[in-house]
Amino acid sequence: MINETRHDLKQRVVVTGLGMVTPLGVGKGEFYERLFGGQCGIGEIKSFDTKDFTSHLGAEVTSFSPRDFISAKNLRRMDRISPMAVASARLALEDAKIQITQENRDRVGIILGTAFGATDVTVQFAENLLGQGPAAVNPILVPNTVMNAPAGHASIELGFRGVNTTVTHYAVSAEIAIAYALEEIRRGTADFILAGGVDILSKFYYESLTRFHALSPAGGGKEGSRPFDQARNGFVASEGCGILCLESMESARQRGRDYYCEIKGFGLGSSICGPTQWPRESDGIEKTINRALKNAEIIAAEIDAVCAAANGGRDLDIVEAKSYENIFKDVPKKPAITALKGALGESFSGGGMRACALALSIKGKTLPPTLGLVNPVRPLNFTVNKQQDIDIKNALLSGISFGGTYAFLVFAGRDGQGA
Amino acid sequence: MHRQKRIVITGLGTVNALAKNISGFTKALQEGVCGIGPLDLFDTKDFRTKNGGQIKNFVPREYIPKDFSLKRTSRADQLAFAAALEALRDAVLYPLPGQLKEKVGIAIGGGSGGLYEGENFYSQLLKKGSSRARFSSLSSVYCASSADYIASALGLTGPKTTFMTACSAGGTALGYARDLLVSNHAALMLAGGVEPMCRITYAAFNALQSVDPDVCRPFDRNRAGLSLGEAAAIMVLEPLETALARGAKIYAEILGYGISCDSFHMTAPDEKASGAVRSMQAALKDANLSIDDIDYINAHGTATPVNDATETKAIKEVFGRRAYAIPVSSTKSMHAHTLGAAGALEGIVSVLALQKGFIPPTINYTRPDPLCDLDYVIEGMRKADLRAVLSNSFAFGGNNTTVIFGKYSERGAAHD
Repeated sequence: MINETRHDLKQRVVVTGLGMVTPLGVGKGEFYERLFGGQCGIGEIKSFDTKDFTSHLGAEVTSFSPRDFISAKNLRRMDRISPMAVASARLALEDAKIQITQENRDRVGIILGTAFGATDVTVQFAENLLGQGPAAVNPILVPNTVMNAPAGHASIELGFRGVNTTVTHYAVSAEIAIAYALEEIRRGTADFILAGGVDILSKFYYESLTRFHALSPAGGGKEGSRPFDQARNGFVASEGCGILCLESMESARQRGRDYYCEIKGFGLGSSICGPTQWPRESDGIEKTINRALKNAEIIAAEIDAVCAAANGGRDLDIVEAKSYENIFKDVPKKPAITALKGALGESFSGGGMRACALALSIKGKTLPPTLGLVNPVRPLNFTVNKQQDIDIKNALLSGISFGGTYAFLVFAGRDGQGA
Repeated sequence: MHRQKRIVITGLGTVNALAKNISGFTKALQEGVCGIGPLDLFDTKDFRTKNGGQIKNFVPREYIPKDFSLKRTSRADQLAFAAALEALRDAVLYPLPGQLKEKVGIAIGGGSGGLYEGENFYSQLLKKGSSRARFSSLSSVYCASSADYIASALGLTGPKTTFMTACSAGGTALGYARDLLVSNHAALMLAGGVEPMCRITYAAFNALQSVDPDVCRPFDRNRAGLSLGEAAAIMVLEPLETALARGAKIYAEILGYGISCDSFHMTAPDEKASGAVRSMQAALKDANLSIDDIDYINAHGTATPVNDATETKAIKEVFGRRAYAIPVSSTKSMHAHTLGAAGALEGIVSVLALQKGFIPPTINYTRPDPLCDLDYVIEGMRKADLRAVLSNSFAFGGNNTTVIFGKYSERGAAHD
């Protein structure tokens, strides 16, 4: 049975549940305590040998037991990436106090972002085929080679049957997925949408990043994640999943549910850029931020906090810092800026984890610190060393990808609407 | 209820096994040409099957002017760009006016991306070891690279998104592009899909035993699986007002779309057909149409034993007795199953059917199946004045997308 569509592009949308499997723990309790407490999820890679590589650090998911979240029957069919998404989706639904029933299952969906999907399975499949021929190919691997496998497994394990899609656009996969979910709730095509991102580390993938000279310490010096720092020398690769549960404010009110934050709008854009190159000019980013502000019907001066995309890479961080300098140039009270990849590393679809952190920030009135930042590339209002108490009316979640693709979202506190 | 901004299609472009442009594609669809045959893109001797819907003799430079570098581009990037250029030229928007570029976005349904080239890398890796493999050749291996390449080449700075939901990605990209235009996030969208043929995909479907070694026979009693194909299919979408203001040729209107999920099995469709039923119903609802408004169904029709029976059942559940009065065809019998591009390619088929007034046939059909008892247009193309066409795409992971296109009229499609 399909409910009456409430097609209203002005409908207000809120976040009522969070679920995550991250290098800093599983579920919002651990994640909040460690991330906001200034702990770092980065360490020597343990799940594969890095001795032949030029980099050795990573932010790995280590304390995750898929069996705690997934039935044995379905878990058998999954690889490594899908359980992170399925567990995060389950946690987000539980956090939002949503039980999937016969009545609501067609109105619950998922829009997931993944930059690279199951790189471990794909490589294994390719090696079997190209090394030993078509007869050596294992049909069991096939369903997990597609990037939409994690969202598909989540729907099977958790039983929801509404909107289900997967976005893959490199480092903005999760931000675009969340923006699409916002649109879908506004269009009334679902009552609840789980949105976020998932990616994993694998040896092949890690080696590829080292060969692209993307990982710290590609620029020389000591290996580490230093977003916005003058001594940054490449990013630290990571993995994990962060998923938010979106619903209309009206639905949350009817259910008597409190919410973390509102998502007020988004802006999408791009600039001309070579493959795998980060943008060198900030105009495309600024244009996209302005689109997001306009869509959310606010101005730059109303932004109190920014959850930045900076990853310690040589090109990204400087261009992002310049964008904020320009966007907030005439703003007397500069927003607090935090770059969580100092603690979480760069997983490309990490926008899901960062969005969860921003939702917790707005609700808890405190911003987690940027780790690894000592000498800023630009004199901006960075939150460093320890968490900063702050009343956030409006915040920006920044998504910037190599290849020149941008997605910015405006998150708001409960008084953000001003009405 | 919010009165939705109307979005129309003003340009089409494609490269596929049947033709390398829209006029050739239209002719092939009308004549019932089969584009499925022996592959020569790679050696098939070790594979159980040898056939597919391959694009033969594709010379990128015949379609992509010299001003655009092809350095580090994959076959997928080149096919998609060739289709995008045709669509823009068709819409009389090439070259794009400078002031428009920043409001032009792109949404692509992807699949194997640069995997055809990626396979050479993996082979190198296996033979020589990783220290001597050229990792830089992986820069366009992922499917998001096609949208990046097209946007950079044309100087587009609007939204850019790639979907990867296997066989429904192309349909989803069309629906998403429509949404971004309705909500004013872009003024014009290039939307569609691209899927190149490659050994990894071919081996995967072979391993699942879902490929017919001969040619696919949708809805036929002896159907024994799909035929794999490759294609790029791109449309130009824009709001009706801007299309009218610039005097554009309007092919059709995109009326609505629906997405659902089976929540059943990763590779097999739910035999109760619930997911397919719900995506069609969601699309009808989004388009604000009733079952009486649909004059032709472009089926997913892969020719696997389960899909065609399940889809038939779903159509009967959605349309009731009217199901028997609506022509249903699977043009995959001609252009093969183009996976990530399928929803977009079959979207183009639907749009051409509306604009040129014909229903393309299901070819290769010889023996009726009691489980598939609808009107599958098996005798060849029909002339027909269509009001609205529904196009289905169902995918691995249980992802279903249905898109509905309507004949353009001033008062609104299918409401005259």
